[in-house]
Amino acid sequence: MMDLFLQTLANALIQSGTYALASSGLALAVGVLHIVNFAHGEFLMVGAFVAYWLSVLAGIDPIVSLVPAGAVMFAASGVIYQASIRRVLLAPELNALLLTFGIGITLQNLAVLVFGATPRVVHTAYQLTAVTLGPVSVGVAPLITLIVSVALLAGMYAVLYRTGVGKSIRAVAQNRTGAHLVGLDVDRIYLLTFGIASALAAIAGAMVLVRIGASPHMGFGFVLKAFAIIVMAGLGNLTGVLWASLVLATAEAFVRTYVPGGGGAAEAVFFLLIFFTLVWRSWRTA
Amino acid sequence: MLEVRGLEAGYGKVQVLWGLDLQVADGEFVALIGANGAGKTTLLRTISGLIRPTSGTIRFRGAEITGRRPAEIVAQGIAHVPEARELFPLMTVQDNLELGAFARPAAWARAAQTLTEVYRLFPRLSDRRLQIAATLSGGEQQMVAIARALMSRPEVLMVDEPSHGLSPLMVQAVFAALREVSQSGVSVLLIEQNVRQSLRLAGRAYVMENGRIVLQGTGRDLLESPHVKEAYLRL
Repeated sequence: MMDLFLQTLANALIQSGTYALASSGLALAVGVLHIVNFAHGEFLMVGAFVAYWLSVLAGIDPIVSLVPAGAVMFAASGVIYQASIRRVLLAPELNALLLTFGIGITLQNLAVLVFGATPRVVHTAYQLTAVTLGPVSVGVAPLITLIVSVALLAGMYAVLYRTGVGKSIRAVAQNRTGAHLVGLDVDRIYLLTFGIASALAAIAGAMVLVRIGASPHMGFGFVLKAFAIIVMAGLGNLTGVLWASLVLATAEAFVRTYVPGGGGAAEAVFFLLIFFTLVWRSWRTA
Repeated sequence: MLEVRGLEAGYGKVQVLWGLDLQVADGEFVALIGANGAGKTTLLRTISGLIRPTSGTIRFRGAEITGRRPAEIVAQGIAHVPEARELFPLMTVQDNLELGAFARPAAWARAAQTLTEVYRLFPRLSDRRLQIAATLSGGEQQMVAIARALMSRPEVLMVDEPSHGLSPLMVQAVFAALREVSQSGVSVLLIEQNVRQSLRLAGRAYVMENGRIVLQGTGRDLLESPHVKEAYLRL
């Protein structure tokens, strides 16, 4: 009984790492650029496919591929930013929403066209091994993805709170006009932040590839859950993303384990969490 | 040093500035007075690059800076303290101040020294250096805004309505600090509703109405001007 409980907790912890990685990028874009990036899930998908093809064609381990996956999406998002996002930043929010939604659909269908709709999986030696800690058994692959996620998030926090660039990013997030007036190059900071956010999505994609696989439609589920997480965290609140990811992953894991037929129900848990968060917020501020 | 000629600017189709001329000489203290909606704030926003002018020129030390981006204007040595202060609300006083020097390498190299100077100018901020900016009083926030602008070691300091919403005691402290800044050799362009006090402080002053300069002269002259007395001093 206790063993099952601990195993469920371990599963939740692993899953929350991927969620936090996928959501931090989204939270960064919302918090700094004030845009809701609906294409975030597709950026994740692009990262997964970059890692997949590097594994198939060049034999590069998908975990190692998080570097090229992040780099590809960092560069691609720079082009996307310069060509489109930059132009809607000052427009009403709906414009950015529609634009990124369109970018997402385009990327998804391009992926179907080029790669086909079949889900792809990679095979590595460590996917078949597991480590056992007392009653809990965890696959080596998921464990690695958790470690990578924690390391990357720690790195992101270190950059944001310990470096000059990070301070500039926070300044732009807190007051765009103020940032202009102290002479920060706001447009370049937006470009950089959007690049980091997109690279985080792509890296999360490579992690999902290792654990589950890649498919052109994989992004949608993740972006919906990432939205649930940043809503729970409070828009743009990066620290909140960590615990919100933990809450969502734990709720899903417990529904999956303890609710009869919970496998399907787990996928709807995020709706419930958004619902309760919003109701509670409006209750508190009413 | 700062020379504005025939400046026209506005927001979308609404034109606010109509062929405005204004100069600030090296080390000069210039006041710009006028009613709400005269275009004073728009003028400062245009000089600092937040708004692009539709015509006219802005020159700084002989070089044209019209339509440059705010980052370049700051790098040139023009600092703007906006009426809304525009602080970074979730950062400490000291972080706000350090960011003021961030974008100008010459200022960043001397940031520690400048920090000591602005803390001497505003001892209150020194006591509150680790306090979060959003939790400061209005007067203290105004002090942070001025101090942050000074951190870039500007040659021209443009200050928009620093007395707005402050207690009389705070107004005195802020004006005393501006006088000291001016005496240290920095040119000051001050926008004020507090006409009497700013005209006393300023060497020269402009009166702005409906987007144009309608009157100019020494602060003393304008204090005696019948138009100023009637429209702004309510004598």
